[in-house]
Formats: sequence, C-alpha cells, structure tokens
Amino acid sequence: MEGLSLDLVVLQLFTGLALGAIYVLLALGMSLLFGMLTVVNFAHGAFYMLGAYVGIMLLGVGFNFWLCLLFVPLVVGSVGLLCERFLIRRLYGRGIDYPLLLTFGLSYIMVECVRIVFGTTGLQFDTPDALVGATDIGIGYFPTYRLFVIAVTFVVLGLLWLFLERTPYGLIIRAGARDPQIVRILGIDVARVWLVVFGIGTGLAALAGLLAAPLQGASPEMGNSILAEAFVVTVVGGMGSLVGAVIAGLLVGVVVAMTSLLAPEMAQVSIFALMAVVLLIRPQGFFGRAGLMS
Amino acid sequence: MTDVILRTEAVGKNFGKFRALGGVSASFPRGALTSIIGPNGAGKSTYFNLISGAFAPSSGKIVFEGRDITGTAQHHYAKLGIAKSFQITTVFPQITTLENVRIAVQALVSRYNVWRPRAAMAELVETAGALLNTVGLWDRRERIAGTLAHGEQRALEIAMALASRPRLLLLDEPTAGMSPEETRSMMDLIVKLAGERTVILVEHKMKLVMGISDRLLVLHHGELLAEGTPDEIRRDETVKRVYLGQREH
Amino acid sequence: MLPPNFVATCKRHRVVLSIAFLIVFPLLMPFKAIAVNILIYGLFALGFNLMFGTLGLLSFGHAALFGAGAYACGIAIVHFGAPWWAGILGGTLGGMAIAALIGALAIRTRGIYFAMVTLALSQCVYFLAYQATAWTGGENGLRGVELSRIAAFGHSINFVDPLTRYYVVAFFVALALFILSRILASPFGAVLEAVRENEARARACGYDVRATRFMAFVISGGFCGLAGALQALHLSIVPIETLYYQTSGLVVMMALLGGMGTFFGPFVGAGVFLLLENLVSLWTVHWQLFVGAAFVACVLFFPRGIWGTLLMGRAK
Repeated sequence: MEGLSLDLVVLQLFTGLALGAIYVLLALGMSLLFGMLTVVNFAHGAFYMLGAYVGIMLLGVGFNFWLCLLFVPLVVGSVGLLCERFLIRRLYGRGIDYPLLLTFGLSYIMVECVRIVFGTTGLQFDTPDALVGATDIGIGYFPTYRLFVIAVTFVVLGLLWLFLERTPYGLIIRAGARDPQIVRILGIDVARVWLVVFGIGTGLAALAGLLAAPLQGASPEMGNSILAEAFVVTVVGGMGSLVGAVIAGLLVGVVVAMTSLLAPEMAQVSIFALMAVVLLIRPQGFFGRAGLMS
Repeated sequence: MTDVILRTEAVGKNFGKFRALGGVSASFPRGALTSIIGPNGAGKSTYFNLISGAFAPSSGKIVFEGRDITGTAQHHYAKLGIAKSFQITTVFPQITTLENVRIAVQALVSRYNVWRPRAAMAELVETAGALLNTVGLWDRRERIAGTLAHGEQRALEIAMALASRPRLLLLDEPTAGMSPEETRSMMDLIVKLAGERTVILVEHKMKLVMGISDRLLVLHHGELLAEGTPDEIRRDETVKRVYLGQREH
Repeated sequence: MLPPNFVATCKRHRVVLSIAFLIVFPLLMPFKAIAVNILIYGLFALGFNLMFGTLGLLSFGHAALFGAGAYACGIAIVHFGAPWWAGILGGTLGGMAIAALIGALAIRTRGIYFAMVTLALSQCVYFLAYQATAWTGGENGLRGVELSRIAAFGHSINFVDPLTRYYVVAFFVALALFILSRILASPFGAVLEAVRENEARARACGYDVRATRFMAFVISGGFCGLAGALQALHLSIVPIETLYYQTSGLVVMMALLGGMGTFFGPFVGAGVFLLLENLVSLWTVHWQLFVGAAFVACVLFFPRGIWGTLLMGRAK
C-alpha cells in the first residue's frame, strides 16, 4: 500500500513537470521580453491562446502536428513582430506602464478576433496519433503525450541556450539584457534586436499554447488565467532571469500537481500562496537582482 | 578633544564580489566644513551614500552624536537631524518651487493627516518662503520646479534639505554640471550655510574646496588615503602622487 | 478647447458642480440603470485613480477590492440579515481589509512588479471565493442581495424605483467625492504627490514611502469597496466575475480613458466606456474588439485621456 502511494507521488511529480514545462515556455518568453525590452507583456496569454488556434488552423489545411510545432511559433511570432514594430515600438521611453497597458488592450483585440473566426465555444484538440496512450516509465504508466511535452521543452531550452551562448545574435541579446546602453554604444541596431526578441518571446508563448491544447482543449479564454500564473512564475524566478524562469516554472508545476493530489480544491490557490511566501522571504525572486524590486 | 558630530568605524561596502569601499574610519568635527575628495572611482559616492543612509554598510558602524545609526531607514534621517542633497538633481519636478519646499517642511509636522486642509497650515508656507529666500529662489516660487535652470534646481534641493533644520548637511557634488557662474554662487551659498551648521561635502574638483574647507578627507581605491587641513593635504606626498599627479597629466 | 475662466471656476466649485451634475444626470440618460452603472464604476475608477493617477502605482488587482466590497455587503445582508446601511459599511470595510492584506505583500514591490503581484494576489482572492461556496455561492455568484425598501431617517424608501435607487447611490458617490476631495487637499495628499514625483527625495524629506503607499492602498480599498457594495445592492447578486482580473482591467481602461490623475476623469472614463459598450453591443456581440481597439488608440494617441486632453487643451 505504501509503495503504491509512493509511485502515485512520483507519477504526480511527472504530471507536475509536464505542467511546469508549459509554464517554463511561457515564463521564458516573458522574462526575455522584460529583461531585454522592459516590457511586461499582458498579451502573453493571448499569444499562448493564439498558438493553440493557429495550430487548429494549420491542421485544418493539411499540416501534421510535427510541422505545426515548427510553423505555429513562426506564424504567431510574426504576429508578435508586427505588434512590436507598429505599436509597441512607439511607446519606448514613455514610461514602463504604457507598453503594459497597450498589450493589455491588444489581448482584448486578439481574443475577440479568435472568437469571431472560431466561435466562442471551446474546441477539442486531438492528441497526435503517435503520442496517444501511455508509456511505462518503470514505476507505472504515464501518458506519452505529457512525456513528449517535457521532452520538447527541454529540446527548446537546449536550442535557446545554444542560440544565446553560441551565436553572435545571442551575445548581443545577453549583453543588451544587462545593459541596453552598451549595445547602442557598440553601434548595433538595437531596434532590430528588439524585434527579434519580441518574435522569440511571443513564439515561445505560442508553442506553449500549442503543446497545452491537446491536454485541455482550446478556448478563446484559455490565456486569461494562465497569464496570472505566468506572472507568478516570473516573479518567483526573478524578473528577467532565464534560469529563474526555468526553475520556478518547474517548481510551480510540481507544487500545483502535488496540491491537487492532497487537496484538489486548493491547487489554484497554492500557486499564489507560493508567490506570497517568496515575496515575503526574497522579494526579488530566486534569481532576480536585489534592489530591482523594492 | 573637539566635539565629534559623526564618526564612521571601519565602514565598508561590497556590491556582490566587488569591494567598493574598504573599512573607512573617520571623524567629523561639529561646526566644521569637511570635504571628501578623491579621483573618480575612489569610493566617494559610496561613502557618501553610507553616511547619508541611502544604503546600509556591509561592515562597520556609523555613529551620529554618540548614537549608533547603522542601518537606520532613510526616512528617519530627517528626524535625526541629517539632511542631504543628491548627486543627480532630485526635486519634485511637476510641482511649484514653493510647494516643493513646503512639502519638505511639512514632513516635520504632518505625514499622515488626511483631513486637515493644507491651506490651513499657513505657517508651513511661511517657513518654506523663508528657506527659498535663504537660497535666493524667492522670485522663482511660483515656477514649476522642473522648468528651473540646473543651478536653481540644485539650490532648491538645498532649501528642501534645510527644511528639516538639520544639524548635519551632506552635499554630494553640489556643483556638478554647473556653469562657472552657477558654481560661484553655489560655493558662496555653501560657505554661508557652513557658518551655521556642520557640512560634509563630496567633491570631485579639488581646487574648488581647498579654499573653503576646514578639513579634507582623501579617498583612493576605496580606502582612506589621508586626512587633515587643506595645508596638510597640499603638502602630503602620497596625495600629490595619486591625485594631483593624475589630474595634471 | 475650454475657455480658461470657465475651467478655473469649475475647479473652484468642483464639489458643488459635481453634486448639481449628479442631480440632473439621470434625466439625461436613456436608461436609469446605465446612470447607476456609470456612478458605481466611476466611483470604482476614482478609487483606482488614487493609486495610479495620484500615487503613480499601477495596480492590476483592484477587482479584489471592488469584489471584496460587493461580497462583504452581500454576505452581511444574505447571511446575517444586516440592514442596508450595515451592508454598505461592511462593504467599505471589506474593501479596506482586503486592500490591507494585498497591500502588505504588494507594497514590497514597485513599478511593474506591483502590477503583476497585485494581479496575481487578486486572482488568489478569486479562486478562494470560487471555492468558498457556502459563503459566496461559488461559480453561481452570491444570489439574493434583494433590497426592495430601505429605511432612512424614519422614512421607508422604495429602492426598486430606478430614479430613487439612482439618488441613493448618488448620495454615497457625492459623499465619497467630498471625502476624496478632502484627502487630496490634505497634507497626506501632498505626500502622495511627492512620492509619485520623486521617491528618493520624499524619503530624504522624512516620509516613509512604504507606509504612505500602504495607507493609500487601504484608502483606495475603501472607495472601491463602497463601489462594490453599491454594485451588489444595485444588481441584487454578486457574480463571481466581479473578482476576476478582467474587472481590474476594466477599471484600468476607464481611468485611462477618462484621464488618470484628474479629479473627474474616472467618471468621464466610466461614462464613455459604458455608453460605448451599450451602443456597440446593440449591433455586434463582439463589442470587446472595439473596446480593445479604443483602448490601444487611447494609449497610443491620448495618454492623458479624454478629460485630461480637454484640460491640456486649455493649458496650451
């Protein structure tokens, strides 16, 4: 009996990691945008939702799921690029609240556009055939698709790491996150870098939405509550810190999964309780710079 | 023994692994004008920020009038009797000059009263007006503070610092970015103020403070290099080498 | 845009003018219910504006303050059979209590974090209310905040009559306007401006910036809680969505639309928003598209809002 419950806990841990993987992708994008552009993207949830719906659209015109994994971030990332280029860019230097407010307005527009095209009711999103079912992971059977979500997230993390550490663009982005002034002094076209960063950030959100869709379906409102959760992850991890986003994302996922095992009705609240504790003990988050917050 | 108003005991500050200030021990006599000088990166601003309470030291102790004030929150400093002007001008930019000083004066009297009309507190306006007179800004009282000239904003800052009737006034590079004319009137003002209270001045330009200071403290690489009267400092060989030498080349 | 003398006169007598306007207002509106809504949301935006406009802190958690007021009033009446005035008082205090709880945590952060943390904490309140079905009715909302007659000064007033209901609400709004006006003109009002203008200088002057922010947040909670209580009485139900963060977004939009940091801006914003919503929803269900677009346009082109732009036009 005891052994069984331990297995249950481990399986739930994996469920938490799969959920956490989604948070990681969202928070990574958010942290990237904040660290680089000091923009808090209130439309991040909407881009997440858009990821799921663009997936549905692409599947509808004959793409398979694997191609979607590639094209959804590209398509939604392009939408992000357009938003940055024509709307958000006008607000740099006008105070930190304005981009936030603008993206909040944008999220309304995006959600309503999706309602117009796809209807107000949620849609089902089938798990791709190859990933249906469960896999034996030694201690029990675990849904294959959730394993896949964890795997994809780690692959994306690896690629992002390579991009940031091993390419000239990555170098500029890392330098810019530390001090935008330096990048400008070096004579680099900062505007172009920002554009790319915005594309990557929103693309990551879209990928998260696409990956989440088979788990919970797609609805125009699916990005609404996850926005607050993504905020919690970014605050807990430390704003602008990519390592913080990864660790906090996984942690929040695991905390939610464990609470749902013990007290399911408290699962949602546990996220915010975690944030409250972190704020009390370490207001700047795990990896945030001290003094930035208060 | 002269009366010491402020004393630091081996105060140091680390920023992460970087040691911005080694342990600096120094005493500031009451009633004197002491200038802290040193080349760029000497730790002057760090030292200033420690004694003015902008942040707490990583090590050491700060003693004001015999009382350990290490780690006291910034907003208690005004009540202690210490006031400061910042290196970067900081006034309330969208409010009138007079209201700027009035708010500073009000801090002594009322901070959380939500009901009494401000208009009924005429004595605050009077005090504020007098302070503006002291720094020569009475004519500018109705102007929005953000529209004042740079030198005027710095003078306004000093008026605001004086509002708490400080016994110790700390000034961080008060002439930074000023025209020669503005610099001259600012130095006159400082000398005038130093006649009535203790002043500690951080200054980058050594020549400016040589003539007016009672004592000088020379910092270099985060350490106290020398201290003494202007004459003693002028004769000090180490100071000549690291500071004057560097500026002459 | 407006003749300067006119505006100056208005400013001097703003309380009297507001009251005069409140009396005439419902006669100009096609439906009294919209007039009541505008007053309630205007009051909500007024409370929000104390944080954003006056103090310069953007909160995205004001739904929790508004909702706390609504639930506190509703619970007092439904579960405890409290009289109407106790419901309103309870709502105001409820808003302040939740504000104190959220504020104690959130004021540890500032700037952009303040927006994120208040949003997250208000979501926490939402989920808690969602779970506490016995008290809040959970998903279905708190039903039965019925009030047909209210007794005041020995008279029994028919609260179902739209015009009477309007004037009851207007009385409390006028009271709130008067109180806010006093607060803004008080020494504490000056401290709020000082903290918004320059935090470091305010601190050096001897003001405790954190305590000031905390106190402003609690006061803001009082106004929003009062608005929430009036909303509960007006709707006879407290929908769970009252606490959802979209409600916070709504009040941000209204305040920005009207002009943050201006005295009447919040009411102008609430009025324009609700009338626009009513008009657009007549011919399309997708009114949120227009709301979003209007908001984006406002951020891009009229950051001072409608009322603020009118006032600026005078200053030029």
